[in-house]
Amino acid sequence: MSDGVPLLAARKAAAPRMRIGLLRLTDSAPVIAAHEFGFFADEGLEVELVVEPSWANIADKLAFGFFDAAVIVPPLAFAVQLGMRGAAQPLLIPYAISAGGNTITLSRSLAQETKERGARDGLSTVEALAACLRAQSTTLGIVHAYSTHNLLLRYWLATAGIEAGRDVRLVVVPPASAVEALATGQIAGFCAGAPWGEVARRAGAGTTIATSRDIWRNAPEKALAVRARWAEEQPDALTGALRALLRASKFCDDPENAAYTAALLSRRKYLDVDPHAILAGLPGGTTADKGCVFFRGATTFPWRSQGLWFLSEMRRWGLIDESVDLRKLAERVYRPDLYRAAVAPLGEPAPTLDWKREGAHDAPWAVEAAPEPIVLPADRFCDGVVFDPDAISPPAKPIMSGLPHN
Amino acid sequence: MPLKILLIDTDADRARALGEKLSESGFAEILRAPAGPDLAETVERTRPDLVIIDMALPDRDALEDIRAVSAAHPIVMFAGSDDPAFAEEAIAAGVCSYNLSGVALQDVKPIMASAIALFRRYRRVEDELAAAKAMLEERRLIERAKAILMQGRKMTEPEAYRWLQKKAMDENRKLAQVVAEFVERHDADSAASRTERKRP
Repeated sequence: MSDGVPLLAARKAAAPRMRIGLLRLTDSAPVIAAHEFGFFADEGLEVELVVEPSWANIADKLAFGFFDAAVIVPPLAFAVQLGMRGAAQPLLIPYAISAGGNTITLSRSLAQETKERGARDGLSTVEALAACLRAQSTTLGIVHAYSTHNLLLRYWLATAGIEAGRDVRLVVVPPASAVEALATGQIAGFCAGAPWGEVARRAGAGTTIATSRDIWRNAPEKALAVRARWAEEQPDALTGALRALLRASKFCDDPENAAYTAALLSRRKYLDVDPHAILAGLPGGTTADKGCVFFRGATTFPWRSQGLWFLSEMRRWGLIDESVDLRKLAERVYRPDLYRAAVAPLGEPAPTLDWKREGAHDAPWAVEAAPEPIVLPADRFCDGVVFDPDAISPPAKPIMSGLPHN
Repeated sequence: MPLKILLIDTDADRARALGEKLSESGFAEILRAPAGPDLAETVERTRPDLVIIDMALPDRDALEDIRAVSAAHPIVMFAGSDDPAFAEEAIAAGVCSYNLSGVALQDVKPIMASAIALFRRYRRVEDELAAAKAMLEERRLIERAKAILMQGRKMTEPEAYRWLQKKAMDENRKLAQVVAEFVERHDADSAASRTERKRP
């Protein structure tokens, strides 16, 4: 009996398993492509993708070990790390999935009003929208409190003096329901990831007036969060997963592959929406200059300074406790060292620094990287402010009261 | 004082069954709400102690942002308790709870145990239904495949069945897969030859 174990079965049992959670969003593309094209399998991984209906499910399933990894909005990864919205679970971000891709999409009437006000009074889009919001009480949708969307929308509105809660009501609406909520007038607009702005436009429910890049050019968006315990137990599996993802990120970033990627994502088990709506926001699509970026300009590199930007914006809006040492937290969760260890042996360039000043460039610039420098795109914020990670100091009294007591 | 419990469920039958079960005890006042953009408002208006929600609903995210009701964030799935296994059971069953008024865990547990049991039972019924459907479809395909073989290759019915079984064994695959592929390929081939025949 003991010598009867078939070789095939033995090999199969040894393949490390990885369960990855994701949502119905265009920037799930690299993970779906890596799975469907067998890139994970090439690295000896047995991957299971699970499409979830909510960020809350992603967070809980990571927290309770149902998932080993997930495509996540970084602020939510920090919330899970600290146990701010439910059970805590140590997470790592060794890989960034995408940049850009969010849209601020308004009902057609509010978009029209914004446009007219802007033209009449010579205002920028955000100033014109701010004037509309001051004139009438308005409700806008975001996808989760701990989302990039919430932070980007608040940042943008604040540049025109609008404060969420005071001048505009923000409610959480799942992106798939946001299109209907917009059509029925329950919300006057939303900030959500691709393809939902395009879906709203196609349904005649909304008009996109701004995108991620109007707020922060080349804004980091989704990241891969991995349970720290899983990563520690199988470092080789993690390395393999990152290499598979890098292949997929390149594929999805190539404009020539856009139609193919859109068709793949549109399948019922993934996004289940019109492939043309997905295609629009992919590199090579009709709104590509405002859409998702998957590889170019070191998009996949997990810059600690970007993690820290999210954290400092979370603090700005009272979403994170004053006593948390943000810089330490960014360092613990964002793991560029793991990224480098995975891609360097492939000869792939990776930045040599972990931190950079965010928003300091109006034009493409070269960043120090090994084996050769990488050209990064412009990264200006809409208000021209430069985010210097060194300016973030530790809290005066280091009590971690954001953590659950046990 | 009875606990006020808000149920949000896609399945009206299941919500009714759970509502009845929980009301029977007399310790709970049951409210029900539809999912949708007004959910947060409903919660703030009705001020339940506990929200029980179907994890298949995307609307969970809205509940995470409710601070007006409880001073702090609502407590998701007994976070901070020392019984992760209980939360795991709930997640596996597909049901989640938000504790809004700091109800003691020992009071929440029996309520969630009822919800978990009910969600499991409904899931089992769904799984069984899906399995029965799959089995019927497999039978139908086997009958089709046998008919194709009996007609095209002049086999008897037992011969045709043995042929399919052997094919599955040789290819180390499930009979259902082999049969489905066989029928599909046959249909594609005959469709192609029909088009060819039409050509002059």
